Amino acid sequence: MGPVIKTVNLTKRYGTLVALSNLNLEIHEGDCFGFIGPNGAGKSTTIKILATLLQPTWGEARICDHVIGYQSRLIRPLIGYVPDYFGAYEDMVVQEYLEFFAAAYNINGSQRVKVVGDVLELTDLGYKRDAFVDALSRGMKQRLSIARVLLHDPKVLLLDEPAGNLDPRARIEMRELLKELRRMGKTIMISSHILPELQDLCNTVGIIEQGQLLYSGPWTDIVRKARGGTVLQVSVAPNPEGAADLLRQNPQVESVEHSNGFLQVSLKDGVSDPSFVSRDLVQAGYRLLMLKEEEANLETAFMRLTKGAVQ
Amino acid sequence: MPMILNYLYRLGPGNPILLRVVESGGKRRRDLIIRTAYLGILVAWVVAALITGGGTVGAASLDELAKTSALIFQQMSYLQLALVALLAPIFTAGAITQERDSQTYDILLATPLSNGQIVLGSLLSRLFFVVALLISGIPVFSITQVFGGVAIASIVMSFAIAAATAFVTGALAMAIATLKVGTRRTIFSFYLFIAVYLVGVYLLDGLAYFHPVLPDAAGVSISIERTGTSWFTGVHPFLALRVIFNVKGYAPPDLGSLPESLKSWPWSWYWTRPAGFYISSMFALSLVLVLPSIVLLRRVAQSTISPRTWLLQRLRIVRADRTRKPRGVWNNPVAWREARTKASAARASILRYGFIAIGVGGAVYLAWRFNTLRTDEVDYYITAGSYDPASRQLTVYGKELTRTYLLDSGADVRINGVEVDPRNADALNGRYQISFTSTTPNGTTLNMVTATDIQRGLSDAQVRTFLLGAVTVEFAVILLIVTNAAASTVTREKEDGSLDLLLSTPITSHYYIWGKLRGLVAFVMPLIAVPLISVTVFVASDWFRSIGPNADSNFRWIVFPEALLILPGTLIIVAAFGGILGMQMSLRCRKTVMAVMSSVGIMLGVAATLGWCGNVALRQFGRHTGLFNLILASFSPFTILTVLIDPYSFADAIFVTGPGPGDQAFAGRIVLMVFSWVSTAIYAAIVWAMYRSMVKNFDMTIRRQAR
Repeated sequence: MGPVIKTVNLTKRYGTLVALSNLNLEIHEGDCFGFIGPNGAGKSTTIKILATLLQPTWGEARICDHVIGYQSRLIRPLIGYVPDYFGAYEDMVVQEYLEFFAAAYNINGSQRVKVVGDVLELTDLGYKRDAFVDALSRGMKQRLSIARVLLHDPKVLLLDEPAGNLDPRARIEMRELLKELRRMGKTIMISSHILPELQDLCNTVGIIEQGQLLYSGPWTDIVRKARGGTVLQVSVAPNPEGAADLLRQNPQVESVEHSNGFLQVSLKDGVSDPSFVSRDLVQAGYRLLMLKEEEANLETAFMRLTKGAVQ
Repeated sequence: MPMILNYLYRLGPGNPILLRVVESGGKRRRDLIIRTAYLGILVAWVVAALITGGGTVGAASLDELAKTSALIFQQMSYLQLALVALLAPIFTAGAITQERDSQTYDILLATPLSNGQIVLGSLLSRLFFVVALLISGIPVFSITQVFGGVAIASIVMSFAIAAATAFVTGALAMAIATLKVGTRRTIFSFYLFIAVYLVGVYLLDGLAYFHPVLPDAAGVSISIERTGTSWFTGVHPFLALRVIFNVKGYAPPDLGSLPESLKSWPWSWYWTRPAGFYISSMFALSLVLVLPSIVLLRRVAQSTISPRTWLLQRLRIVRADRTRKPRGVWNNPVAWREARTKASAARASILRYGFIAIGVGGAVYLAWRFNTLRTDEVDYYITAGSYDPASRQLTVYGKELTRTYLLDSGADVRINGVEVDPRNADALNGRYQISFTSTTPNGTTLNMVTATDIQRGLSDAQVRTFLLGAVTVEFAVILLIVTNAAASTVTREKEDGSLDLLLSTPITSHYYIWGKLRGLVAFVMPLIAVPLISVTVFVASDWFRSIGPNADSNFRWIVFPEALLILPGTLIIVAAFGGILGMQMSLRCRKTVMAVMSSVGIMLGVAATLGWCGNVALRQFGRHTGLFNLILASFSPFTILTVLIDPYSFADAIFVTGPGPGDQAFAGRIVLMVFSWVSTAIYAAIVWAMYRSMVKNFDMTIRRQAR
């Protein structure tokens, strides 16, 4: 089966500014794709194009094999778009807000009442159905946004920083909600700056910088790729500086950095057995206080792969 | 520098808020364009006036040149005041939202700047541009000095009136902003208030009712001579300006000629020097409006609830817990939102129902006053059925008693001066006030009866003036409301981001725009019903007045009945034109303020031009070109209303003094009806074409603006 979301050389220019440059992406059914990059990298532009809100300058984007721009009418019922802002309506209560969008998706009559009731229950907002939307807290508004995009049971969710500016509790609740949606089989594309949460939620990620996709694939691969070889954290006594010089002489060691009493030892690619580190240190008379392999995570990979440049 | 001088310096010329605007504002491209356009209009006006007035310029006497110069000065003063009245609200209304929008308000409040510096800095910085405009116009005004005929004092007064108008407008906007009694929507209400005030009060000034009766030489108020200026002259910039031109018939009364009750201060000042009073009182009012802002600025900013919300909660119009029972949503959600959520917002509901209640109530009251005969003010009157021709018995009603008389067979009976035969069955069959003489000692047989119409609560002319003024103002307000609502409908969604949410749903451009229009129509229909109901009330009351035994002997329609066939279509389609124009601008502009200002400006321009052309055609050319002018008048809803309600004043050449007035009037009514339908069809075609173009270009326009 083909990818649910596919872009081929997708390019978007605003005058002379290139917001996206030849973006090639494939996201398969049931995937949760984390889209990360510095501010101004082109994440929101990509999501807006996929949400049919922007026309690409060049290239092609497809959702469920429908081409954006030519078959947007067929695409819109298949997607649910949550922007990085709320889009509040004045003088509307929660239930009206949801009924309003249900009607926009042509869900009418008793079916509308049932659907609205269901999504309110799923997002735990039932007790707020009479509250004005502009009086809700930020966390509630984000949950309401998720409720809104679930009304028509879309196959694809396009979420642009849904956890931005949320407090820790609201963020955790949002993450659990998205996990539940993933279990329901939705294909999710989510952009976020909170990388540990993306790591917990997504199976694939894409890193974009200055409109160019640097990497796309399973997050475990990207972490491995970014790290290169194994990194060890070592604590020794006495004279850690002397211990660092000793290890640097070993041909299997790439580099050693010393900071705050800890040594960060990077082994060369292909070195799979790090036991020589402890052996050499003990034989040289050092007391080994701690030795552990550095945890691989998305944040480190992101920092290593991107330069922090913005457009 | 002494402390007080330093304080005053930092309050005024050294105020950092003012300095920022003065230093940067003059360099902005937009300001340059507006200033150039303003001066361009003034210069063009002077040149045009010199050329047209001056077929005489080359050869005429100095006296004639001075007269031309005085006329140019008058016209330029009106033009300047109109431009200031138009521009000052635009610049000062920004004070209501600008600081909050740019989120600099809290930062300013957290600085050591005093309340006075913040309030006066904001006020003066917003007035700076208007004052700069006024000053830049001085050289153009000085051209009139070349030919003489204009006193320096008049020029100073003219500028002072314009400046006072700008200051009071700015101070009002600042008070609304700092006391948190306004929201983003207040800009429009503020603008509307100023427009309605200027136009409404100017119209009311035309009514004799507001010009007090002057006592005669003996000091008794029995003459009908009234003051030239009215109760409104001292509080209206255009009326105050009119006074300084010494216009014949609009001069303020001397102190000696005023009634005793108006001779004490401040009434004497108000009546004898209305222009001076206007300038002084408006500057004083500016101070009064600014003072609470200065005193309460930080205190109000610290409060968590605005005075408006507090009041609405007290009145139980909104609930403190910010909840409400949900309402059902229509299958076209766009239409539902337009019609229900906007219109049912607490403030909108109050204003809407207030408008409807006042409009319909006013019409019913006018009809009631017009149809109420002042029988309590006459000594004797008769009604239909009072007189029996067979027995020649006449029942006469008086203040204290009702008595039946016998009419002498040769009695002299006159109705409104026309002699009638008492044996005639229709003689004296109506409601009249009478006077009579008797031949018999006991007074039971009458030999002379003089019957005249009983005066009404409001005269025919008065009721026409009031009704025409009311429906004109009502429809102008409706046009402004619908244009404003339409102009903000898409831009507001662009600004709050909700448009993107809608565009990512299956809603099509056709569905979206149709929904918006449907919603606007549902929102505005109850408002359009107000002038229609007003007119219907009078057509119905006229119809009842024209039939039955008490039928009016001098019956004339207050409103021609064909109004019921003409007005619904015309008013709805013209309102739809305002709506589609507003939507078009809303689609093209990114910001609500720009969309509202441009569409309201275009609408005002179109309505004023068509109305002015129609009015001039009816009043000035009617004698020469007859019915053709009615065709021209049929293209403005305002002139249609004028002809339907008060043709005898505004189209007298056709309806009163034209050749064969009876035939001409009937033909005029037919022409007006037919060409009103034609103009309505043309408006409808324009609306439809604009709608189709909008649907077609919607995606392209929106996506071009997308970022």
